[in-house]
Amino acid sequence: MLLIRCPYCEEERPEVEFSYAGEAHIARPADPSQLNDEQWAEYLFIRTNARGIHYERWCHRHGCARYFNAVRDTVTDKLQMTYKAGEPKPDAIGPSGGDK
Amino acid sequence: MNTFRRPGRGRTHPEKELRFSFDSKVYTGYEGDTLASALIANGVHLVGRSFKYHRPRGFIGAGSEEANALVAFDRGPGRKTPNVRATTIELFEGLVAHSQNNWPDVKFDVAAMNDMFSVFFPAGFYNKTFMWPKSFWDKVYEPAIRRLAGLGPAPTQPDKDHYASTYGHCEILIAGAGPAGIAAALAASDAGGRVILADEQVELGGSLLSVPQAVIEGMPAWQWLENSLEILRARENVRLMPRTTVIGYYHDNFLGLVERLTDHERSPAAELPRECLHRIRAGRAVLATGAIERPLVFADNDRPGIMLASAAQTYLNRYGVVVGDNVAVFTSHDSAYEAAFDLSDANVRIAAIIDLREGVPEALLEEANNRGIDVTTSAVVTGTSGRHRVRQICVNTMKNGVVEGGAKTIICDAVLVSGGWTPSVHLFSHSKGQLKWCQRVGAYLPDAPNENTLCVGACNGTFGLSNVLEEGAKAGGDGRTYKTSEPLSGTGEIFQSVPTDRDQTRIKAFVDFQNDVTDKDIKLAVREGFRSIEHVKRYTTNGMATDQGKTSNLNALQIASKAINRPIEQVGLTTFRPPYTPTTFGAVLGYRDGDSFEVTRKTSVDMWAEENAAVFEPVGLWRRARYFPRNGEDMQTAVNRESAATRHSLGIFDASTLGKIEIVGPDAAEFLNRMYTNPWTKLAAGRCRYGLLLGEDGYITDDGVIGRLADDRFHVTTTTGGAPRVLAMMEDFLQTEWPSLDVWLTSVTEQWAVIALNGPNARKLIEPFVDGIDLSLKAFPHMAVKEGKICGIETRLFRVSFSGELGFEINVPAHFGRALWETLYKAGEQFDITPYGTETMHVLRAEKGFIIVGQDTDGTVTPDDAGMSWAIGKKKPDFVGKRSLARPDLVASGRKQLVGLFTEDPEIVLQEGAQIVADRDQPIPMHMIGHVTSSYWSSTLGRSIAMALVKDGRTLNGTNVFVPMPEQTHVAKIGGTVSYDPEGARLDVV
Amino acid sequence: MSSEPITDLLSIDQGISIPDVLTRHPEKIDVRLVGERCRYNIRVQREDLDAVRAASALDLPDKIGASSATQDRKILCLGPDEWIIVAHMSEAARLRRTCRDISQEFTLSTVDISHRNVAFSLTGSLVANLINIGCPLDLAVDRFPIGKSTRTVFENAEIMLLRESKTGFYLETWRSFAPYVCSFFEKFATATQYDTNT
Repeated sequence: MLLIRCPYCEEERPEVEFSYAGEAHIARPADPSQLNDEQWAEYLFIRTNARGIHYERWCHRHGCARYFNAVRDTVTDKLQMTYKAGEPKPDAIGPSGGDK
Repeated sequence: MNTFRRPGRGRTHPEKELRFSFDSKVYTGYEGDTLASALIANGVHLVGRSFKYHRPRGFIGAGSEEANALVAFDRGPGRKTPNVRATTIELFEGLVAHSQNNWPDVKFDVAAMNDMFSVFFPAGFYNKTFMWPKSFWDKVYEPAIRRLAGLGPAPTQPDKDHYASTYGHCEILIAGAGPAGIAAALAASDAGGRVILADEQVELGGSLLSVPQAVIEGMPAWQWLENSLEILRARENVRLMPRTTVIGYYHDNFLGLVERLTDHERSPAAELPRECLHRIRAGRAVLATGAIERPLVFADNDRPGIMLASAAQTYLNRYGVVVGDNVAVFTSHDSAYEAAFDLSDANVRIAAIIDLREGVPEALLEEANNRGIDVTTSAVVTGTSGRHRVRQICVNTMKNGVVEGGAKTIICDAVLVSGGWTPSVHLFSHSKGQLKWCQRVGAYLPDAPNENTLCVGACNGTFGLSNVLEEGAKAGGDGRTYKTSEPLSGTGEIFQSVPTDRDQTRIKAFVDFQNDVTDKDIKLAVREGFRSIEHVKRYTTNGMATDQGKTSNLNALQIASKAINRPIEQVGLTTFRPPYTPTTFGAVLGYRDGDSFEVTRKTSVDMWAEENAAVFEPVGLWRRARYFPRNGEDMQTAVNRESAATRHSLGIFDASTLGKIEIVGPDAAEFLNRMYTNPWTKLAAGRCRYGLLLGEDGYITDDGVIGRLADDRFHVTTTTGGAPRVLAMMEDFLQTEWPSLDVWLTSVTEQWAVIALNGPNARKLIEPFVDGIDLSLKAFPHMAVKEGKICGIETRLFRVSFSGELGFEINVPAHFGRALWETLYKAGEQFDITPYGTETMHVLRAEKGFIIVGQDTDGTVTPDDAGMSWAIGKKKPDFVGKRSLARPDLVASGRKQLVGLFTEDPEIVLQEGAQIVADRDQPIPMHMIGHVTSSYWSSTLGRSIAMALVKDGRTLNGTNVFVPMPEQTHVAKIGGTVSYDPEGARLDVV
Repeated sequence: MSSEPITDLLSIDQGISIPDVLTRHPEKIDVRLVGERCRYNIRVQREDLDAVRAASALDLPDKIGASSATQDRKILCLGPDEWIIVAHMSEAARLRRTCRDISQEFTLSTVDISHRNVAFSLTGSLVANLINIGCPLDLAVDRFPIGKSTRTVFENAEIMLLRESKTGFYLETWRSFAPYVCSFFEKFATATQYDTNT
């Protein structure tokens, strides 16, 4: 069971308090009706599926109940850092995998 | 006294004699014995039959590495555990154990003919032989193999024991309480953090318990051990955990420990758990798990009496038991000499030491000579004999590694073997630490750790008592040195495969004793093209038994490496996985059994339902009353009665499980506009509306009635099962997409008990109880909501109907739920008020064509598919899922649409899930155009009703489709979904 | 209104009863069901926090995990903009009034959750161990000090936990999860009453 640092609680907490919420930094288009079918499908379905550094969302479901972002290496399953939702995408430390 | 006891030796308590039974024969042993040491003391070595060939087997080890001596441990009915290692069972008065995998008994086993015909049982035999045909596998091969091969039978009764589980935390967790672990604990606890020292054995001390002659800091090893444990016991920050196996090492220093609490007691208190699972988060893990001696692989090396040299030494020094009267030693490592000398000093005749090596340290030869022990170097054991116990061995000499003819036989009743030591890197490997091959030790050793881990002592390839102690102390945080002396700190050679002069196709030299894998099997696997050790493992099953190859993996690897002709590092190593030793399901479950297995959520009215004979069904985590049978009614009869009462007079239903979310803030309506398909801006306070929630993919994900309590306050209901999911989805959008909206969400599912009253008399019943709400048709129309009081308590009163009748949903604070229910129930007697359950609720709603999300929809149904385009706010620029509704696939023709289905024979109630075809005469496999989603007997309509998802269903209105079932094909006509009161007149009966 | 009020028929303990074993050795384990309380969930934007505190006289602590308490009221900060107030019934009317008043004055959310939760008070030398059978947090007093509060899990239930003393905790869970949580308490207490070491 991972230990995950919640950027709101500023504490490391056990994984069972959290739930995973998919890839991070995919903003919902401001006006979806302006997107053609292909663009909308891209937004809806296409994900990085990175081998290595992955920017992803977690929710501290059974803690402060906040969604936040994390940088995790999908090969080692090590969380490198976590940061609040809305904060800019940070640079990952260490080797990057197949990030696109 | 038993012949094989040596008084004055060992740590057992001769003053406490214990009787026990093995295979129904009664023996005696001492307190402090294991079942294994007590049996050996009685001269019993034959304790079981092997897995595949049913060969007689004895003890190979003295601890948890034991591969052979698996017995059935019988603690009474419901407490029989198969396949327990006799070496780990602590003896107590009245202990009962049985040998297993033999019939009729361990000395005469019919299936031992597997051994005679073993030429037919090579590696991969099962894979090759039983591939075809499938029916033969199920009916013939599999049952036969099950009878003939295998381990002990699985228990047939439920486990009568109960188990415990907990979380724990410490700064340093030390696995293994041998010298390294104890030194680490002494040092670490000095520093002040919380220290856990866990060891799988009953006594802490590890290898020290087997070498009393060692000296540490000027005192005998056992004295030092006692002093050290005394210090540790006195420290508040130290938790000593004997009988506790660290079974797994997981992410972020999370370790699983299983503590055995009662297996060693004759009649433990019934309240005591048998085992406890400790889930420990450690700041740092110190692994001091030691090393396991490696057997040598030679012909017929599996006879009872042939065992690891270290095991014989442990039996002698720890239990005061000698493993034979006339013992031969076969070794490639110095450490076996130590065992030989200890036995010799205990008046056991050492028949010979046969050493594979050319060069043996002079000191050892001299010591042997002093004791009159004959040592033959450059020699090899090429065979053994003895039916139920080894009786003699054949010894050949070697020149330049080649076996010379002229075998000499040596009579003996036990053979001690040592092929060197295998560090126990299992836990380090669980934690994804990297291993590297070490030629010096002839084994894989820990390299780069993946967690905050330190490996110390023999598991790190460190040998020699002072080295081990100092490495342990350093890991615990201090740099102290230790002065020690010990009999030996040996070296040895690792032989990839023991040479022989025999025809290798005709001998059995066992590598994996538990799975009966021989070196021939491994070579065969390589010949047949397997190159990766992972594949060799699976093909031969080497290392796949319950001991996970603790004594066999390295030998197998060396044989494979030689056969492939590649260095070991290139052949790889199989992966170690938790648990380290076999673990009971009970321990994994811990307290989470019975009431605690899973949450059963109950409403505040649930107890009333139980008292009134309700039959329940699970809905999500909730249990809900399904129907209320009277006088032995079956479900259909009860449902007919409940639904008639509701349609004609008054039904009462517990709707408390509905999910409820209170949405508050100036942007509440805007937030709902964006989440739900329907428009919310113009919904007036005091009114409610049915809301439909889509996923961003455009498919229906939830629905429910939403009431506006004030401009900035909504009471949202969700499906029973969907509540947590809907709240999570809303929070996700709110927090991450629209953080600027001033609105907050609070789950109030459990704040409110909800009593639904349906039927023409509903208003008449509640009117006298309600305060502050004008219930007249005009003031409180269908889809109205008001806050007021009922029976003096606050209520959120909804006028809604999921039945088609005049209906109210009365929300009251949960702890008043039952009191209000009983008040209404009593007052309702005048209307013959009838409690109904979810089954009647389903029938009533189906008659009205109301969908159940998750039953009539399955995650691929759009609002239009469900015939609910009316729920979409046409003027809204956007809502979750709106853009997807315009995707080409979602507007294409040929989608499945929800329709009503009316069987030609009105008595036939279709099966939910049944498939629908357009042409009943087409060949099988038929082309399926849809399936039945809801189907009931409607007593109101006097016929069956159903809903179905059918391809282009609405265009097929009025046509017949077919529902093929095993007994007959049913004919049904497609129609509308609303079968009852399509005008909605019943809602407003006065 | 023509009927008798049922306001005195409230029963918190539907489906929950505290078995004897949870009070038999109170110096080790003493688990009690807490009586009726008035609870509010309050959501306030950070920028309004000082003003709301001033207007409401509610001591809303700043930091997630902090709590404040008076004789008859506890306030726990569970999230960046989320507080739970638990008040004795003697305070209920005043708290309801306060919540109504600040709702009119500020952009915030107050929701009555009085009956959503069921509370246990746990005291005794073993209660940290008792909570740890299902809660994965480190409850050593230097890691989870007096006054610390949080939402967390207890096996499959979500709980809200507040440490009130070295050997005293206040634990709330949604009402339908309470029997499940209590079933673990009972098993632990039953098992440990035979444990002479502790």
